[in-house]
Amino acid sequence: MKRRALLVSGLGAAGALVVGWGLLPPRERIGAVDALPVEAGEVGLNGWIKIAADGAVMLAMNRSEMGQGTHTALAMLVAEELDVALARVRLVAAGADRLYGNVVTMVTGFPFFHPRDTEPGRETAPARAGQWVVAKIARELGINVTGGSSSVVDAWDVLRLAAATARARLVGAASIAWKQPAGEIVVVDGVVSHPAGSSAHYGELARMAAATPTGEVRLKRREDWRLIGTAAPRIDAAAKSDGSARFGIDIRLPGLLYAAIRHCPMLGGSAGAVDVAPALALAGVERVVRLGPYGGSTAALAVVGRTWWHAQRGAAALKVEWQQRPAGALDSDAVMAHLEERARAAASGGGGFAFHSRGDLVRADAAAAQHVEQTYRAPYLAHATMEPINCTARVAGGKVEVWAPTQVPGLARAIAADVAGVAEAAVTVHVTYLGGGFGRRLDVDFVGQAVRIALETGGRPVQLIWSREEDLGHDFYRPAAVTILRAGLGADGLPQTLRITSAGDAITPRWLERGIPALAGPVDTPDKTTSEGLFDQIYAIPHQRIAHVATLSGVPVGYWRSVGHSHNAFFVESFVDELAHAAGRDPLDYRLALLADAPRHAAVLRLAAERAGWPGQGRSRPLAPGRARGVALHESFGSIVAQVVEASIEGGRPRVHRVVCAADIGSVVNPGIVAQQIEGAVIFALSAALHGHIDIAGGVVRQTNFPSYPVVRLAEAPVVETHLVDSTRGPGGVGEIGTPPLAPALANALFVLTGKRLRELPLRL
Amino acid sequence: MEIFVNGAPRHLPDDLADPTLPLLWALRDLLGLTGTKFGCGVAACGACTVHLDGEAARSCVVPIGAVRGRRVVTIEALGSAEAPHPLQRAWVAHQVPQCGYCQSGILMAAAALLARNRRPSDAEIDAAIDNVCRCGTYPRLRAAIRSAA
Repeated sequence: MKRRALLVSGLGAAGALVVGWGLLPPRERIGAVDALPVEAGEVGLNGWIKIAADGAVMLAMNRSEMGQGTHTALAMLVAEELDVALARVRLVAAGADRLYGNVVTMVTGFPFFHPRDTEPGRETAPARAGQWVVAKIARELGINVTGGSSSVVDAWDVLRLAAATARARLVGAASIAWKQPAGEIVVVDGVVSHPAGSSAHYGELARMAAATPTGEVRLKRREDWRLIGTAAPRIDAAAKSDGSARFGIDIRLPGLLYAAIRHCPMLGGSAGAVDVAPALALAGVERVVRLGPYGGSTAALAVVGRTWWHAQRGAAALKVEWQQRPAGALDSDAVMAHLEERARAAASGGGGFAFHSRGDLVRADAAAAQHVEQTYRAPYLAHATMEPINCTARVAGGKVEVWAPTQVPGLARAIAADVAGVAEAAVTVHVTYLGGGFGRRLDVDFVGQAVRIALETGGRPVQLIWSREEDLGHDFYRPAAVTILRAGLGADGLPQTLRITSAGDAITPRWLERGIPALAGPVDTPDKTTSEGLFDQIYAIPHQRIAHVATLSGVPVGYWRSVGHSHNAFFVESFVDELAHAAGRDPLDYRLALLADAPRHAAVLRLAAERAGWPGQGRSRPLAPGRARGVALHESFGSIVAQVVEASIEGGRPRVHRVVCAADIGSVVNPGIVAQQIEGAVIFALSAALHGHIDIAGGVVRQTNFPSYPVVRLAEAPVVETHLVDSTRGPGGVGEIGTPPLAPALANALFVLTGKRLRELPLRL
Repeated sequence: MEIFVNGAPRHLPDDLADPTLPLLWALRDLLGLTGTKFGCGVAACGACTVHLDGEAARSCVVPIGAVRGRRVVTIEALGSAEAPHPLQRAWVAHQVPQCGYCQSGILMAAAALLARNRRPSDAEIDAAIDNVCRCGTYPRLRAAIRSAA
């Protein structure tokens, strides 16, 4: 308490604000029983855990399952501490209580401290204070976000403590009932027993436990874990292998209607005169609804029909005079030229917002033996989730019900209430399985649209589904970026100076404007996601200035798996390879020389190199003729990943055969899911590296479907190996961390093969 | 109109059973068989793959007028809870699915492949399974198909 009081008094206005809200110890995230409604026969023990009559453990699930395995991982944390089999944990949907908000996304997203300042146990005072303040605010806001690779990190202490607390009360109840010391009572798969012969399952003890004080609660010691750290099978694998898993698009309700959508093809444009007669003349078409912009979307027309095909046929039949965006047609070539101009001006004039500065660049540059300067580029990208964008809504009797595959149920609720003109309390959001998220479902434009349509269907539920063409044409795209990197090398070839000047749109201010307008400021504040992977690059370089110019292109931009890291890792890790080449050194040795004071990073890099058979590392393995290796190392979301790509050129095109990954993710909840995520992230990144670009001309996105927005398929998929470093630290992120290193590792391999340095994504020979 | 799905004749309402209605939407929106998925609408991703007289077919481009008198099998009838298809067992054993959305189509394509080719080579697997999976489950589904072959 004393330390906190001191910190708060040092924080001025922000501190006063926090004191006003009152102190909230971490333990309070366990929550009160009233946060989690109970049904007949169930007994609530805290905000996360209730016990069913049959003794099963029911967990309030606040995170969305979009493939990342979070339902399994979070259930494992609870099963571990409550000593039940994983199959005995049943998930129930968490409600809208702010208890279920995500603290970690805000703490890691908003104050941008260099990783050296936030190393656990060695945080600097300003970093510690900043994180504490943001954690307080995050808890008060309680925004429920599944994103930022944060679910396990956020749940790690909270869920284990909630489960351990529940267990302590159940054991305490048995102790009182049997008049035996709690220390002699054992729990095996939810059955509580005492050597004297007494035995009862959780369901039989729950009611008494609810009236039993918690007493002393201790988390299990690491050496006593029997589930955490094992590759337990995913709890959703069977349902996802027999067609029974329910995604948003699979919601079926009595009287359900279907809606198709046609946005103005020009991003940001609108609809003028509309001739609806040809659509309404078609069988199975019910009505046409005009849609304004919702949650950042472009204006559109929706057609309601009795099947989605009938609705879609109606949408195609509409005759519409589309109107260009008032500020003029968007054009991606023009954007790229503008970004380059802005980056160049800032690079020469010391402009942009400096996310990180150290040392004396002017003096050190003057002393450098040689300089290397290069410009790198990345295009817009679409998410292309396999499940097309959809939402089902019903508005009846002053109540709104929404079924949505969403990463942000609270924002879905807010937009539904706003569009329907009701209080948020009148809105219920059912989160379904997500057929992929990748950040696209952090936006709720489609929820606003669905509710607007449902206002017109006389109380009947309606399911809005976007065609793939609408999805690719009206995404919130990964921002394009242009980045200029300049290094001054010393006589030993190692960099003494590093200047990075990047330019591109900032996502977070735009996302706040459209999703949480109350939090969007009048002026954009610097957005960490623009510079993540650049300002926090880990190599020891004494003199640095890492700056970003935030542009406003007008193109809708959003979070895309690994966000800024997705392209910034390509820039830095390709450039470091260039520096190694300029210094005439092996790219692996060169990196290791720059990691002398970063032993975790060096260990990960060595592990990947050894397992890949890199020359001079462990059992080096000769490559097949025509193949080459490239390496990259990147830290993101609190985890460190190194990849060695083995590639060749076939038919004039890059071909990736094998990707060896090593990672330090701290404590591992489920190594099977981690491997799955890293494999998937590598392939997701490979699609972007080989094929991905969204081009805009005349305001219209030119890519329309998978034939023009190709992605990697089985025949192009490499072998992916994952090796994890043993660690006793707290967990880091998992879902996104495998994406950033792939493109630079591949580009570095292609350089070995061709001698040509590719500085633009996608990689074209 | 009547079509033959998963071993039984199924009636489609006359006012909606336009012969050009793609089988996908008849299955999903008229018969409630939602295991077959919509992904692209142009037979480019394979999420909607079903069996038509035992062959893999992309139901988003097969009009119902063309399936009269033919046998349609969807993921719902590939196996059962008591007796899953060997590929479904392999899918769980190899922990293939992530988001799971594309898996019905991939399983149906793989089942059709194994029905006509008991021991497919890697190249034959690549050629038969050109479905899109954005989660990148490819290495695992290849291993699962091999183990079930």
